[in-house]
Amino acid sequence: MAWTLRRPLHTLTTEDENQRAKDLWEGESLGGIAENNNPLPRPVIGLLLLTYFTAMAITFPLYGQRPTAAIYADYVALLNSEPVQEVINDTSLPYNERNDKAMAMIEDALAHFDSKYTFQREQHPISMDQLKIIAPQIVELQTAGVDLEEYIVVGPEVIKSNFFNIQPDGTVIAKQPWWDKGYTVACWWFIVFCLSVIIAVKRLPPFTWRPDHSIAH
Amino acid sequence: MLKYLFAKEEDIPQGTAAVFFAVSSIAWFIIGTGLGSFNAAKLAFPDFFHGSYALQFGHMRQVHVHAVIFGWIAMAFAASMMYITPALGNTKLWSEKLGVWNCLLYNVGLCLALALLWSGVTSGREYSDHIWPIDLYIAFVMVLPWALNVWMTILNRRTQGIYTTNWFFGACMFMTVIVFLIGNLPEWFHLTGLNEAYMTWWFAHNILGLLITPVAAAITYYIVPKITGNPLYSHRVGHLHFWSIVVFYSTPAAHHLMSSPLPEWLKSFASVEGVLILVPAIAYVCNILLTMQGKWAMFVENIEIKFTITGVLLAIPLNMQGGFQQTRAINWYIHGTGWIVAHAHLALLGFSTFAEAAAVYYGLQVLLRRKLYSSSLANFHFWMLLIGFSLYWVSMTIAGLIQGAAKIYEVPYMDVVIGEHPYMVVRWLGGTMVFFGNIVWLYNMVMTARAGTPVPAGRQPAEVAYTR
Repeated sequence: MAWTLRRPLHTLTTEDENQRAKDLWEGESLGGIAENNNPLPRPVIGLLLLTYFTAMAITFPLYGQRPTAAIYADYVALLNSEPVQEVINDTSLPYNERNDKAMAMIEDALAHFDSKYTFQREQHPISMDQLKIIAPQIVELQTAGVDLEEYIVVGPEVIKSNFFNIQPDGTVIAKQPWWDKGYTVACWWFIVFCLSVIIAVKRLPPFTWRPDHSIAH
Repeated sequence: MLKYLFAKEEDIPQGTAAVFFAVSSIAWFIIGTGLGSFNAAKLAFPDFFHGSYALQFGHMRQVHVHAVIFGWIAMAFAASMMYITPALGNTKLWSEKLGVWNCLLYNVGLCLALALLWSGVTSGREYSDHIWPIDLYIAFVMVLPWALNVWMTILNRRTQGIYTTNWFFGACMFMTVIVFLIGNLPEWFHLTGLNEAYMTWWFAHNILGLLITPVAAAITYYIVPKITGNPLYSHRVGHLHFWSIVVFYSTPAAHHLMSSPLPEWLKSFASVEGVLILVPAIAYVCNILLTMQGKWAMFVENIEIKFTITGVLLAIPLNMQGGFQQTRAINWYIHGTGWIVAHAHLALLGFSTFAEAAAVYYGLQVLLRRKLYSSSLANFHFWMLLIGFSLYWVSMTIAGLIQGAAKIYEVPYMDVVIGEHPYMVVRWLGGTMVFFGNIVWLYNMVMTARAGTPVPAGRQPAEVAYTR
C-alpha cells in the first residue's frame, strides 16, 4: 500500500499501485457490471457546498421553540400598572372585552419604545389569560433577582431552560446561546469527513483516466 | 420449500432462498397493505368495525407497520441480497440451505411477532414495539443468519474488487445488527425516561437510515447498470455516497426529539447533520441518473427501470423533506402531524418499495428463467402503486399542514378531525389502490412461474420482454 504525497489532489498512490488498480478495473467483470471513473460534476460540487452552508444557516441562529420569560417582563410590568388593572377590573365590560382592551393597551405601550425582544414577541404572541397565569411567576423570579433569559415559558409554567453552557469556572449559563458546541462538533465532523473521503477517492486512479470496458465485457 | 430443508447443499438449486424470500415478501406486502387499507378505513370512517378489541386502531397500526417493514421490505431486501450478492462476486450464495431455513424461520417468527402485537403484547415503543424475547429471535434467528450468508458470500467471492452494491449490503447488515441490539437497550435493561426516548428514536432513525434507504439505493446501483448495460457513472461518487451515509445518517437521531429536554448542543449537532443527509442523497441521485445517459427510453419501455427510476426520483423529495423538516423552525410546525406519516410513507412506500419491487420483478424472472407472464399487468401494478402512493402522500401532507396550523393556533381538536375527513378518505382510497395492485402483482408472478415463456440461455429478461 504505497503512498505518494507529491501531487495530493491528483493521486495519493504510486504509479505501480495505480496501474494495478487500472488492470483490475478493466479486467474484472463484477457480475456483468462495469464502473466508470468520473469525478463529481462541478454543478453537483456547488450543490454540495450550498447544502453545507444551508445546513449551517437554516439551523442557525438557534430558534428557541419556547419563548424566554424575559420577553414578557415588560408585559407583566404593564399588566400590573394602574391603568391596565383598572380596565381588567372594570366589571361593566364583558370578560373577553376587558381582556382584549387591556392587551391592546399593553401592546400599544410596547410599540412606543424599542426592545431587543420585538422580533421574539412577534414570534411568540401571548393571550391575556396566559399572561395572567405566568405573571406571578415572573414577578417572583424578578424578586429573587435571577436572569429571566435563563427561564422559558412552557404552557402555564415558567421554568429554567435546558441550555447547558458550562463556563470555565464550572458555572452553567442557561441562556439561549448564539452559538453552541453542537455547531463546533458539526464543523469538525464535516471537515474530518471531507478529508477522509478525499483521501479515499485520491487513492483511486486519477479521474482523467477512463477505463476501457471492452477488455472484460 | 419443505423438500429443501433437509436436502444436501449441492442438491438445492441456486437462487432457491431468494425465490422463497421474494414470494414471501409479495405475500407480506399484500397482508401489510391490506392491514394499512383497513386501518385507513377506520380513520376515514370512524364507525367502521368498531367495538372489536382486537381490531382497534391502536393494535392494528403496529401490526401494519411491522408487517410492511419486516414482511415486505426486509424480506424483499433478503431476496435481493441472496441473488445480487453472489452475482456481483461471480460466485454462489454461501449457503442456500441456511437461506431456506432462514426464510422459513423468518416467516414463523414474523407470524409470532405480529400475533403478539395484535394481542397487545408490546414494548410500547414506536418501531421497536416487540418484547425482548421476540427481539432476540429477530436478531439471532431472522437477521444474523441472513447477514452471515451475505458476509460469507462476499468473503468467498471470485473477484478481487467489491462492487458498490455489495459494500452497502455487507455494511448495512452489520450496522443493522448493531442498531437492533443497542437500540433495544431500553427493553434489555428497562431504561426509562429520556434515555428510553433517545434510544427509541436512535433505533427508529437508524433502522430507516442505515438499513432501509441505503439497501434500496444499493439495489438500484445493481438494477440500473445491469439492465441498461451502461457502466455505473462513477465509482468515486459511490464512495462519497457510502461514506456520507455512514457519517451523516448515523448521527442525527436527536432531531426526532427536538422538543424534548435533550441537551440543546446535541439537537444543534443533530440538526446540522440532518440537513447534511442531502450529501449522500445528491451523490446517489446524480450517480444513478447520470448512469441512465443514452438509455432514457427504458424508463418508458422497461418495467424494472420504470420502477427503479421512479424510486430514485422519489428519493429527491424524500431527502428534501427529511433534511429540512427536522430543523427547529420547521419541526415546531409539523411535529406530531400527518406530514410525518406522509414522509414515512414516501421513504417506505415511495423510494424503497419502488426499488425493491424492481429487484423482485427482475430477480424472479432471472432465477426462474421465465419472462413476465404479463407486461400489461406489471404496468397496471406500477400505476396502481404510483397513483395510490401519490394520493396517500399528497392527502396526508395536506392533512399534516392543517394539523400543524391547528396545533399552533389551538383550534379545537374535533374541528381538526372534521376538517381532515376528506383527506382521510383520499388516504384510504390511495392505500386501497396499492393493496389491489399488489394482489395483481402476486397473480402475475405466480403465473410467471407457472406459465411464463422461458428466457433463452445467455439472454436477459429485459432483452426478450417484447418478443413472442
